[in-house]
Amino acid sequence: MSNSIATAEVERRSKVVSLQQAAGLVADGMRIGLGGFAIYQRPMAFVRELIRQRRKDLTVVGVTNSIEADMLIAAGTCSRLETSYMGFEKFGLAPAFRRACEKHGFDAVDYPELLAWDRFRADQEGLQFWPASGLGGTSLVELNPDIKAFDCPLTGKPLHALPATRLDIAVIHAAAADKYGNVIVPGFHNLPQSFDVTLSRSCRKLVVTAERIVSDNFLQRHARLVQIPAARVHAVVEVPFGAHPTSMLGRYLDDDTHWAQYIGAAKTEEGVAEYLKANVFDLASHDDYLDRIGGARLASLLQVDLQQ
Amino acid sequence: MNTPATLNELLVVTLAREFRNDEVGFTGLATGAAAALFATAIPLAAMQLARRTHAPDLTVLLAGWIYNPDLARLDELPDAEFAEKLRDLPCESQSLDYPGSWPHRNGAISFGFGSGVQVDACGNINSVLVGDPARPKVRLVGSILLPEHFSQFGREYIMMPRHDQRTFVEQVDYVAGVGYPGGLEGRARLGLESGGPELVVTPKCIFDFDKVAGRMKVRSIHPGVTADELRAATGFDLGDLSGVPQTAPPTERELEIIRREIDPRSALLGYDMASAQ
Repeated sequence: MSNSIATAEVERRSKVVSLQQAAGLVADGMRIGLGGFAIYQRPMAFVRELIRQRRKDLTVVGVTNSIEADMLIAAGTCSRLETSYMGFEKFGLAPAFRRACEKHGFDAVDYPELLAWDRFRADQEGLQFWPASGLGGTSLVELNPDIKAFDCPLTGKPLHALPATRLDIAVIHAAAADKYGNVIVPGFHNLPQSFDVTLSRSCRKLVVTAERIVSDNFLQRHARLVQIPAARVHAVVEVPFGAHPTSMLGRYLDDDTHWAQYIGAAKTEEGVAEYLKANVFDLASHDDYLDRIGGARLASLLQVDLQQ
Repeated sequence: MNTPATLNELLVVTLAREFRNDEVGFTGLATGAAAALFATAIPLAAMQLARRTHAPDLTVLLAGWIYNPDLARLDELPDAEFAEKLRDLPCESQSLDYPGSWPHRNGAISFGFGSGVQVDACGNINSVLVGDPARPKVRLVGSILLPEHFSQFGREYIMMPRHDQRTFVEQVDYVAGVGYPGGLEGRARLGLESGGPELVVTPKCIFDFDKVAGRMKVRSIHPGVTADELRAATGFDLGDLSGVPQTAPPTERELEIIRREIDPRSALLGYDMASAQ
């Protein structure tokens, strides 16, 4: 009989992978959710890697979408978008999306904003659909065969059933995660970070790109801020400035100069092809992308934020 | 003493007089100069005016997540909904998650403000596309929160910075928010038992609705605008305009409150559409 202190026979698995490996988890034709909200905190490094790997026929499912979906549409990676808003807020309309709709009949499926969000909550609660009142008479229900009218079984009143998102995979960009996949969400956050949490609860396969992979010690000091526990996470990638050119609350501002470059380029098919060549295809890695943007520019975007 | 009221101030007082005490007003954060003025700045100033004149307990929900912000602190209207500038604006409460601390769909919101690229004779609004939905001539941002605004808020104020035949049409190309097709009975048949547009605010006039007939009608015409001009700018029949009054002007006191207390730095109402055009 041994008195020795028990030692673990197996070691807890690190989920840290490369960006290339993480993007490899996405197969052609999948339904994908991308974290962040509108023009804020989108997993842009991951998006560029998907484009670099020439993925195609993805359906992007969101609440509000912007440059992450526009770039995927421009690259031919995304062929269908289900959302309530597709635009660039203060930067205007989404140019590649707009052209795809107007010239090529792109498959844009419109949902109301809160219900777009509730579709993810349906997945979270294990439901096939989310019930909605107040949609009668809208073109949203007339043009969308996935929304079904039904009568309330209790009152007989007309309702609509909106399908759960049934994502194959979701990707978020977070401020910090540990190597097992615990994700810290700043306490003083906004809807973009709240959507990341909803996404994490709605899907079966979640990829987290993070500004920094932090130590166990750091993580445990911030345990009350861990809204996405490790067991929900499939893979973790360290990607500093992984949301560029979108902003990262409390860490860096959006890069207005780069937004303007993209918008200028994306006005034409040739322009956006050149943009993608220079910023995606001609670059081997995210590090090369950051070098291309330049240290001085990136440094100028940094924030001092002590409110978290 | 005061210089005459501007169009922006006229619209602010017209709206402010509509709001009642204890109500909750919801405004999004629109971007683009004219849209931001009509859909965000004028509504915010109107709610602040109502709070100072007759509705001290009215709650302002800015961008859907900031409660009773201190707008007099602003140098300019924020142009980003979830950035530090808006987050750090002094206020009474913030809703950081969805679903948040304020319910949106159970009657808790008394009124909202919406805008779009087209509005039609029965008050339907369109923010999604122009032309054929399968191959639109112009594709815009999408429905956003308008379906909810037009069915689950107590009432909706349609804020239209442009008033011409392209924006005021007989039938919208896409219904994002439902007006009164078939009147109130028509709404009931669609399952819409409350809510709906109340007024339509434009640079030329104020519309309200014959909610039985389900038709928009002119409630008042702004000073300096003729009936003929109004007809020429509207893509549907306005009927007899002979008895329609002029939009009532602000009082001296209302102007003073707007200029001194609500918008001392012209952060809200400084944009003049007439001189920008």
